[in-house]
Formats: sequence, structure tokens, C-alpha cells
Amino acid sequence: MSTEAPVLDPTEVQETDSRSAHDQPWNVVVWNDPVTLMSYVVFVLRKLFGHDESTATRLMLQIHHEGKAVVSSGPREKSEHDVHRLHAHGLQATLQRG
Amino acid sequence: MSKQRGARRLDEQGSVELVIGTHERDALADLAPQLRAVIEGEAEGDLATTIRERLFPTAYPDDPDRQAEYEELAGDDLAAGRRDALATFERTLEAGRSERGRWVARLSGEEAEAWLAVVNDGRLLLATAVGITDESCWDEGPDPEDPASVLLFYLGWLEEELVQALQHGLDATG
Repeated sequence: MSTEAPVLDPTEVQETDSRSAHDQPWNVVVWNDPVTLMSYVVFVLRKLFGHDESTATRLMLQIHHEGKAVVSSGPREKSEHDVHRLHAHGLQATLQRG
Repeated sequence: MSKQRGARRLDEQGSVELVIGTHERDALADLAPQLRAVIEGEAEGDLATTIRERLFPTAYPDDPDRQAEYEELAGDDLAAGRRDALATFERTLEAGRSERGRWVARLSGEEAEAWLAVVNDGRLLLATAVGITDESCWDEGPDPEDPASVLLFYLGWLEEELVQALQHGLDATG
């Protein structure tokens, strides 16, 4: 990614604005499964997203009791990267348009 | 001096001392090739397919095109990460020492993370093989007649130990 500020063309800015109207954020959803340990889910959420223990525990309990939880949200590329990292840690994660 | 079985953090660098039974160490060594066969796509049959689907989950369940694109982009990387963790796991299994029925290893923080990854994948493999489809399946405890079931329950204990040892690192930095 370049660190130089691009020179903005007004027509491009307009395009970006019109696109962003329907370019909703993507949610990263982690699903409950009967095998993965609760302590492991808390550990992974803390490690990957930098949550404190109480935030990670709250998310883990939401996954456990409600069957799923949104653990991050953002542009598709970032959300897909988060899903990739969750998959690397053995968690069942999917992308959903917000 | 007898050491208590389990994993404990040794220092600020995140090194972990692991103490397990020699029989359990041998069972872990036998599990590694089973995992490798699934990761490399060499294992065949419905069970292997189900295990592989669990180790490499779907990112876009409702969008086959994006899912295909995701597999193209991430598939090799996810397999390579698991392959690396497995290689570290097997190397450290050989490097530890056995004494009076116990096997002792000193792992770097990175090696301990590789162990955690392999143990977690091992649980996913064994739970699928044993047929854990619901959380109530755990209530019955291990089937002493089924080595896979016994190892699955053992890995639950080992994973808790590794998480606790590695959790200290998050507490220290977070």
C-alpha cells in the first residue's frame, strides 16, 4: 500500500461515493461447534483481535448460547482476512454482508 | 524430583515446559501422520472429506463464486500453516526426553503455539471420527474400548493446559 496521498479526481470521488452507498460492511461471523473448547475460543479472539479477556469471554458466550456472533466488521478485504486468520486457528467463520 | 504433568510458562519470552506421559507422547506421534494425510488430501473416503471440510471451513456458504475465489487465494496458505505447525510438532516430539514414564519438552512460545494448533486440529479430527455431533456427546465421557475416544478426551485436557500457559503471554502484553 502506497503511503503517498493520491491526487483526487472529482469524478473518481463521485464514483467512490455512489459505490459506497451500496457497499455495506461485511460481518465476520463465528459459529458455535460442539467440539472447540470455550477457553480456546477466548484465547483466539484475544490473540487475533486484541480483545481484553472480558470482551473475548462475552463474545465466546454469545457464540455458545446464540449459536453465532459477529466478531468483526469492515470492508470485504479486511473481513476476508479476519476469516482467513480464524480458519487458520480452526474456528468456523463465515462472511456475511452487514 | 517428579514434575507435575501439564504445561507451564517458564519465562517472559513465553517458553513453555510440557510434561506428559510417555504413552500419551507416543499416541500424539501416531496422530500426526493422520492429520498430515487429511491436510495433504491423501486420506480418502467420506470421513476424511468431512474432517477436511471441518479443518478448511467455508467462508461464503451462500456464494459459490466467492467461495471458489477464497479457496484459490487462501487454500494453499491455510494448508501451509498447518503443515508448518505439524512439522514443528513432530520435531519437538523427537527432541523431548523421557524419564520414568514422563516425557518432558521445553518449547519456545512459537513451538507451543504450533502444539496448540495441532492439538486443536487433532481434536477436530478425532471428534469427527468418534461422532461428536452435539455437546451432550461429551457427557458420557471417553469410551475406554475406543483409543480415538480416549485420545480425544486426553487432548481436551492438554489443550486446556496449553491455552492456560499461552494465556499468560496475552495477559502480559495485553
